Amino acid sequence: MQRNRELINFIPVVVLMVIGFASVYAARSSQIDASSLSYGLLFVGLFLIVHLFLRLAAPDSDPFLLPLAALMSAIGIMMIYRIDPGLAAAQTTWLMAGLGVLILTIIFLRDYRKLDDYIYLCGILGVLLLIVAIVGGQEINGARLWLKIGPMSFQPSEASKVLITIFLAGYLNSKRELLSTTTWHAFGVPMPALKHLGPMIAMWGMSFALLLLMNDLGTSLLFFGIFLAMTYVATGRMTYPVIGGVLFTGGAVLAYYVKGTVHNRFDIWINPWTDTADRGYQIVQSLFAIGDGGLFGTGLGKGYLLFKNGDTIIPALQTDFIFSAIAEELGLAGATALLLLFLIFCYRVFKIAVDSDDGFSKLLAAGIGAGFALQVFVIIGGVMKLIPLTGITLPFVSYGGSSIVANFGALALLLLISNRTNKARKS
Amino acid sequence: MNGSIRRLFFVAVILFASLFAMLAYRQVIQAQDLADNPQNTRKVFAQMRIDRGLVLASDKSVLAQNRKEGDLYYRTYPAGDLAPQLVGYSDPTYGQVGLEHSQNSYLTGTADEVELVNLFDTLSGKQKSGADIELTIDPRVQRTALDQLQKIGKRGAVVVLDAKTGAVVAMASNPSYDPNQLAANWSQLNSDPGSPLFNRATQGLYTPGSSFKIITASAALESGQFTPNSMFNDEKGTVDIGGFTIHNYRTEPFGQHTLAEAFSQSINTTFAQVGDQLGQDKLIEYMQKYGFYEKPPFDLPSGEVMASGRYGNGELLPPGAPMDRAQVASMAFGQEQLQVTPLQMAMVAQSVANGGKMMRPYVVDSVVDKHGTVVKEVSPDVWKTPIQPQTANELKDMMVKVVNEGTGSKTKSSQVQMAAKTGTAEVPNQGPNAWFVGFAPAGNPRFAIAVVVEDSDEGGGIAGPVMKETMLSALGL
Repeated sequence: MQRNRELINFIPVVVLMVIGFASVYAARSSQIDASSLSYGLLFVGLFLIVHLFLRLAAPDSDPFLLPLAALMSAIGIMMIYRIDPGLAAAQTTWLMAGLGVLILTIIFLRDYRKLDDYIYLCGILGVLLLIVAIVGGQEINGARLWLKIGPMSFQPSEASKVLITIFLAGYLNSKRELLSTTTWHAFGVPMPALKHLGPMIAMWGMSFALLLLMNDLGTSLLFFGIFLAMTYVATGRMTYPVIGGVLFTGGAVLAYYVKGTVHNRFDIWINPWTDTADRGYQIVQSLFAIGDGGLFGTGLGKGYLLFKNGDTIIPALQTDFIFSAIAEELGLAGATALLLLFLIFCYRVFKIAVDSDDGFSKLLAAGIGAGFALQVFVIIGGVMKLIPLTGITLPFVSYGGSSIVANFGALALLLLISNRTNKARKS
Repeated sequence: MNGSIRRLFFVAVILFASLFAMLAYRQVIQAQDLADNPQNTRKVFAQMRIDRGLVLASDKSVLAQNRKEGDLYYRTYPAGDLAPQLVGYSDPTYGQVGLEHSQNSYLTGTADEVELVNLFDTLSGKQKSGADIELTIDPRVQRTALDQLQKIGKRGAVVVLDAKTGAVVAMASNPSYDPNQLAANWSQLNSDPGSPLFNRATQGLYTPGSSFKIITASAALESGQFTPNSMFNDEKGTVDIGGFTIHNYRTEPFGQHTLAEAFSQSINTTFAQVGDQLGQDKLIEYMQKYGFYEKPPFDLPSGEVMASGRYGNGELLPPGAPMDRAQVASMAFGQEQLQVTPLQMAMVAQSVANGGKMMRPYVVDSVVDKHGTVVKEVSPDVWKTPIQPQTANELKDMMVKVVNEGTGSKTKSSQVQMAAKTGTAEVPNQGPNAWFVGFAPAGNPRFAIAVVVEDSDEGGGIAGPVMKETMLSALGL
């Protein structure tokens, strides 16, 4: 039943995909090869395979998640195809890897709640990945996020994000009672026992260390935000987000004074117009692109995204700034539709959290949902100059293997949680 | 936990709503501002498929033309550094400035006038082609003006106007640059302390010093209180007004003299007393009659033309901003926060030369489409009438006296009678700014000129030959 609904949900995805690829091809036929249209077909084929797999392996899982993820990926791959058909080929490969991880996760973590026994392993792995990135990582755009193994670049923080979410789900689920018991008051605020504040301090320390060592405000904000959201869900108490918010603000202010990159990003956010040729270039060009889109956009393939030599006008267009490209070519109408897709996806994830019947599942789903929403907010808010810019990927949409693989891994966990809940309801 | 999860979703909804609000703001409310930002080269890029019109000088020599690469047209400037601040540039990376910016709709053929004339082409959907614009610039005079500034090696500007029509014959700003080398020199052009990209002729704000006495004298002569022969006595070379002591240049005493002599010898103490007697309102009234306190209507983008007047903290003060007696007296000889552009001072000289009628300055003479049809042709018109013909004649005689017997002797020529007013304005930490404002031939003026030279020698004589040689070149002598 759920899977038939999923199949129906795929129909608009396929239609949009076909229209999208056809219009990019029509607008840029002089520059691109007709055979590249096959990425579109390959894409549709891949998701149909996963759909058939779910009919067997997780028949009762949520019927919206996969079509939504497919649609977001479709918009991303269409835009990447428009920017550089060669990158679309690579992204299709990454998509295969992501869907492969999704299938493997569903096969091997069929009883995902067993993860609860391995949360410390997940936590340690998550932290190790971050350490590896800091120690062995390469600096790209000032941030130490990338690990190079042979010809492949890999962003360990993406996988780490999922692993640490799993750890927090298990840890907070077991410490829930303790953390929500008031033992003393600080300035009239009810506080839990000091020793239980330890993890909060540790997590803050870790986020702050990320900021200082990786030079990346975005990743640091994301990790800490996930932690605060999950603590709030576990305890139902505002104390944690409030203390955490104060701690993070303090850390950010300190970082502003000690870290040149943070200082820089903040100043550019306040006023990019005095240095439009150099430091302010990227964000100013992003604003021009978004403004150019207007209500309905320039049309796919018709925006001013590339120089004559094929370089993108906005650096990192296919990764961090893909939303600017979408806003230019699809306009307010198209970009709002994408925002709604993200919101509906969030809604489904939080619904899965609410519907599930055990603490671990609830926390895991809510943590993934919070991370997803926050990541979307940080990067889209950044490229629109709503908040200071920090480079992270737009989930499912941006070009990049690590991000695609990690997001489909997380999607697999959500499918498993909903499959379990729905199955229990049926019987 | 379900309550917290729902509240968390509510937070997500708020975050997404703020994203949507910002997106709508950027794409709808702010869209036009972003599109109009001079740094935004999207429009320039889109119009690179149009065979852009030429920019021609008055002798039909080419100042800007196209080079086709693939299906895009790139701009080249055969005249190099001759008049880049005026002609501007049109570049997909650096945007558009100067006439390339303000005349873009003619050059791209998107102006209504061009489309109407080419209605058939427009309807048949033929590839748009731009119209040529023909300027009033005489490249020979323009070259002389720039050469003269470069010869003395000083920053500065020269504006030459046709005395009868207001047409701009030359508009030079030194240092200059080669617009063909923008990409190679961009960062250097922007960091150069001489600001070569800056059009000193229309954007440069300078203290007018004694050249402002033309305006004070205009007010004095028309007030009925003074004639060129009104007598003054200067015993000490200083005068106290409003608790402030005003000095002549080198505190030199001049004894008994007329207003005309005070003008030709540039006697500050006398002009301070005249200004004190006339009062603030009268002086401001004449400044406004001469077009101060508003941007002259000109063919350049409005952002590249500055208004002249009193400035405070970099902002033009309102005409009625209060002043005390000492300030009014200082303003009468061109000090006291007065800031003027070379274009404005050339327009003042042009009014005196033209019997008191100030013409609207213009540099685009005509717009001609690809079929040779004249789409637009400028006819000279009067912008303001600051003074009566009689006053103009009296001032003319006084300005001749400046050249023959006074501070403007450096412009004296055996070939033609020049008329001029000089000015030197002290600038902290460097030599004064020197002004020469005038016209020639004095009997039947054909050209009016304003020259400003930064960091000049004491007394500003260094700027005299710039005016003289440029003027002789304009007169073909």
